Amino acid sequence: MPSFDITFVAKYWQTLLMGLGLTLEFTAICIISGTLLGLVLALMSRSQHLAVRTVVRLYVELIRGVPVLILLFWIFFCLPVVTGLEIGNFLSAAIALTLFMGAATCESFRASLKSIPIEQYDACTALGLTNRSRTLDVVVPLMVMRAIPNLLSNTVALFKESSLASAVGTVELMYIGQNIANSTARPIEVLTVVGILYFIVGFILTRLVSIAESRVLSRLAN
Amino acid sequence: MQDLDFYFAFASGHQLLDGLKVTLYLTFWSNVIGLTCGFLLAMVGVSPIRPLRWLYTCYIEIFRCTPILLQIVWFFFCVPILFNVYWSGEFLGLLILGLNLTAFNAEAYRASIQAIPPAHHDAAIALGLGSRVTALHVIMPQAALNAMPVLVTNAIGAFQQSALVALVGVADLMYQGKLLSTQTYRPIEAYTSVAIIYLVISVVFGQIAGFFERRNELYR
Amino acid sequence: MNSQQSFIEVNNLQKSYGQGLVQVIKGLSLSMNNKDRVVVIGPSGGGKSTLLRCVMGLEQIDSGSVSLEGKPYVSRSAGDRQTTIDKTVRSSIGMVFQSYTLFPHLTVMQNLTLAPVKSRGVTKAVAIERARGLLERFGLSAKANEYPNRLSGGQKQRVAIARALMLDPKLMLFDEVTSALDPELVSEVEQMIIGLAENGLPMMIVTHDMWFARRVATRVIFCAEGVIQEDAPPDEFFENPKNKRTRDFIENVLHAR
Repeated sequence: MPSFDITFVAKYWQTLLMGLGLTLEFTAICIISGTLLGLVLALMSRSQHLAVRTVVRLYVELIRGVPVLILLFWIFFCLPVVTGLEIGNFLSAAIALTLFMGAATCESFRASLKSIPIEQYDACTALGLTNRSRTLDVVVPLMVMRAIPNLLSNTVALFKESSLASAVGTVELMYIGQNIANSTARPIEVLTVVGILYFIVGFILTRLVSIAESRVLSRLAN
Repeated sequence: MQDLDFYFAFASGHQLLDGLKVTLYLTFWSNVIGLTCGFLLAMVGVSPIRPLRWLYTCYIEIFRCTPILLQIVWFFFCVPILFNVYWSGEFLGLLILGLNLTAFNAEAYRASIQAIPPAHHDAAIALGLGSRVTALHVIMPQAALNAMPVLVTNAIGAFQQSALVALVGVADLMYQGKLLSTQTYRPIEAYTSVAIIYLVISVVFGQIAGFFERRNELYR
Repeated sequence: MNSQQSFIEVNNLQKSYGQGLVQVIKGLSLSMNNKDRVVVIGPSGGGKSTLLRCVMGLEQIDSGSVSLEGKPYVSRSAGDRQTTIDKTVRSSIGMVFQSYTLFPHLTVMQNLTLAPVKSRGVTKAVAIERARGLLERFGLSAKANEYPNRLSGGQKQRVAIARALMLDPKLMLFDEVTSALDPELVSEVEQMIIGLAENGLPMMIVTHDMWFARRVATRVIFCAEGVIQEDAPPDEFFENPKNKRTRDFIENVLHAR
């Protein structure tokens, strides 16, 4: 049994924390862009035009039907060839995870949109609200509120998927952890610590999700 | 933009096929582990013994709160050292994927067991099905049926996540795709082909799952 | 304009669901003056809620028209592709529904002021003043800044009625507003409606509550199979119904109590 030295990792404490910070930053960026994308897609999926609705449907099926890793690789390796642009590893990973998140949140919003009782629409008509006011003041806020539990769990999922960015060379916790593990030939200590860091954040996020869920759901209990 | 040459990808089809075999092998065995151990773990999870439930929670939380990539990398690097074993990449892969799947399936089983209306328990007792074993024949089949949609979703998820073992050197479909891309300098054909294969299989299994779910609904 | 007639005029209304598959209203005509409080009762699927919804202009119709003070605001002739709905006229009518009435993401005050501010161009300050007044009048001031999930069912419905009143409707429609409430909360809502009735607000009410119908109505209408089977003042309606179907219904409902 090889020797364990957890304190060994203490030397790399700062670097690892920096990696965690990068992971969180990256996650935050992709959550925002992914949720916006999902919102747009969900609204598009209600369009009058069959073509628009089909595009959204196909997009969602595609993103959900392939491993996230393929998205990453495709964007990193193929997109530069297709567009002729140089896309760095951070940007590729960000694009891939945004696309992933966009599909997930689109489904969340679509489900929440569907769950709005029709009586709410009737109430808007009875109050003489314009279509614009109905959409902006009632439908969208309700859609977002009802989607919050789902959105929050998507966020936790994204936090975990962010580790895949390391596969295309993006510097974040997983990448740094693997580098240190390889260069010091002490994978057990390093990777365990990395695991603990992910676990702490992941655990906290999951608990926050539960709390937020119950708060929002009680508000909506009509 | 270079011209696409999918013929080339077709010609290299056998390479991708080899990878696909490994991927399917991993998916199959990890699901065997995930479905059986998941059920057993769920039994631990609904046990009246507090320490057992605590163990259950620890297991679940570890797999739920950490990225699967980390789980895979940790497993691949640390288990051989810790247990002084030499196992093939495929074996390590199916083990960790199986352990991961066990956690999620256990939750699915547990949720469906707990979702069974107490009325059924009561009815079973009223019918004189006092014995726990017989009650299990009433509760368990229902629970399994209820959990099926989630179990299938998890299975498809496992299929897609198996691609990650390519990053630790297992020669699955993703690995072969990446290899093909670098060998032929044709990333678009290579990666697109791989994506299509994953997509087709995922969609087909998704449809089958949907079919069973609808049949399930009819029997209520 | 003859103030005794034609406040609300429903003219040969036809409505079906599923492209003519299910005919819910089959040539229904109704005349209401501005002192009337019409209560519509009848069996489920008989068309009473649909009638109310058509008067509110919520539904597409097959043919016929609904007019307010002589102006048709819902109309469709046999040849028309679509129902014509005049939103300006429609805005003088208010309606309260059975459930999910309030917007859960807004406070009571916000619920009340949303429509006046956003579609009537009323300034926020004026709307808030008006809302405060209404809440005070109906004993709901304490709840002004609460979200709907903190209100009882009865309070929610009363706020919903106040919300409709914010727009000064000429006609109020109540679609089974107490049917989803716990029995002990029904009375506060009915009292509020009776108060409005005594203040002279014309209204059309769908209800299952016969006591309430008798108390608030100037006319009771029995709507079944898509037409009006009977139309009479409350005492006459309940004591001496002329139509056999009406009699059966009243007996069954009264028996069930």
